[in-house]
Amino acid sequence: MVDFTQALGAGTLVGLVYALLGLSIVIIYRASEAFNFAIGEFLVIGSFLFYIFFFDLRIPLLVALPLGLLAAGLVGALVERFAIKPLLGRSPLSMTIITLGLGFFLRGCVQLIFGSHSYSFFLELPDITQEFGDLLFLSDPIWAGILSLSTFGLILFLLFRTRWGLAIRATSENQAKAMAFGIDARFILLIVWAISSACIAVAGIMISNFGALSSMSSIVGLRAIPVVLIGGMDSIVGALVGGIIVGVCESLAGAYIEPMGLVGFKEVAPYLLLLIVLLIRPYGLFGQIRIERV
Amino acid sequence: MLSIENLRVVYHDVISVLNGISLTLNEKEILIIIGANGAGKTTLLRSVAGMIDFYDGSIIDGDIKMNGASIKGLDATDIMKRFGLTYVIEDRPVFWYLTIEENLGAASFSRWDKQVKADIEGIYSLFPVLEKLRHRKAGYASGGEQQMLAIGMALMTRPKILLLDEPSLGLAPLITEELFSTIEGLNQSGITIVLVEQNAHAALDIGTRGYVMETGRIVLDGSSRELLENEDVREFYLGSGKRERKSYKDAKRYKRRKRWL
Repeated sequence: MVDFTQALGAGTLVGLVYALLGLSIVIIYRASEAFNFAIGEFLVIGSFLFYIFFFDLRIPLLVALPLGLLAAGLVGALVERFAIKPLLGRSPLSMTIITLGLGFFLRGCVQLIFGSHSYSFFLELPDITQEFGDLLFLSDPIWAGILSLSTFGLILFLLFRTRWGLAIRATSENQAKAMAFGIDARFILLIVWAISSACIAVAGIMISNFGALSSMSSIVGLRAIPVVLIGGMDSIVGALVGGIIVGVCESLAGAYIEPMGLVGFKEVAPYLLLLIVLLIRPYGLFGQIRIERV
Repeated sequence: MLSIENLRVVYHDVISVLNGISLTLNEKEILIIIGANGAGKTTLLRSVAGMIDFYDGSIIDGDIKMNGASIKGLDATDIMKRFGLTYVIEDRPVFWYLTIEENLGAASFSRWDKQVKADIEGIYSLFPVLEKLRHRKAGYASGGEQQMLAIGMALMTRPKILLLDEPSLGLAPLITEELFSTIEGLNQSGITIVLVEQNAHAALDIGTRGYVMETGRIVLDGSSRELLENEDVREFYLGSGKRERKSYKDAKRYKRRKRWL
């Protein structure tokens, strides 16, 4: 029982980081109906940008973090302007394909600049390790959970309580309609990519903090795929629930199935779960039921 | 105030939709554009509103002038901000997943003044039915309510010129009548209106002047009265002309003789 609770708790904390990754996919999907396959590379680039500010330039954390996120957002905006915007109004599929190619391109850039070795990555955050009897939750995952959740909340606030959020939601529904009512859909798309990129960077920094940062960290970004597919591609709640489900599933598989000799099952488990969910609910758990009117 | 000179528009670089359209819009009038499906009415409105490139079309010839200055190639948001021109796209251009109140808010995105709240209340007093539904998603509203909302949203942008693309599409005749009297009211409050309609009779009734479009050209123009009395308009758009040509084939031959097609 202790094992189970421990795995559940640890899974939830990691799951919150995955939820943030899922959210960054969802907001782009809703705005431009494209799936951002370059998420892994965004994650690595975001982390490296923060690395430069914090570890290389030795700027204090509270300044370096916003700076890093801002830079990550800028990269997202640049990518949107050069790779995505020219395709506006075309099929979303071509945008998705572009993000695939973009992923390879960005990976190449990262390896060219930073090489493929690991960089040690350790944020000296205050120790908030929690112990309840036999349960032990380490400080880093707790920080990761807290920061991811608050970023998630911040994005929700932005989307549902501000005029820019309203414009983003309107544009996400239909770009032509938004433009007709004076919302600059192209600029909104730019903002969405920037926000998404900054979110991915937060998740990337948290994940790098668990271990080290290298150009191979991009694999973690792919965890967003089961997250959004389980939760529903266009659902923000789905991203949160999907993220936690994937985190818990992973950690349960790690605690119970891997010791039986199936090493690496942890990586596969979310996809198995994904298959089951998709068989039962093809749009994901919270995929929006489209309002159809003729 | 608005004049279009010999406008030619193609989609995807090959499909020619407007083949030399010239028209003028005078201040404070209701200009009616009627024409069959595929005549290029919507394309014309898109070009004027600066949204043609979004639909992968381009203006290859001619010019669109506002008070003498060319607005060709300007962004949709630019045109809206500078000239107060709002284009209500066809088929209920409301955001289905936003509530009615959010819809009105989204439409006022381009404004930063403090009047927005008061204006929303103004829309509610113009269309009381919307106030009752203010927290409901627009996708669940009826067609008539959605169209009222669309006009309300257009008003939130404080338009001087309103381009309406088939607002009566799919509405019951009674609701259409109500809608058209609302449009007339807007016009009386000083908004210039361009109304594209299939429902030619109702539209010409409230209109000042009208153009008839066919396959990317303007084939007829005149005051609403003249158009209502024109034999060909009566036959092809009002369905109340002489009954000599009974079959479709005859009608087609007649049209060809008139060199409309």
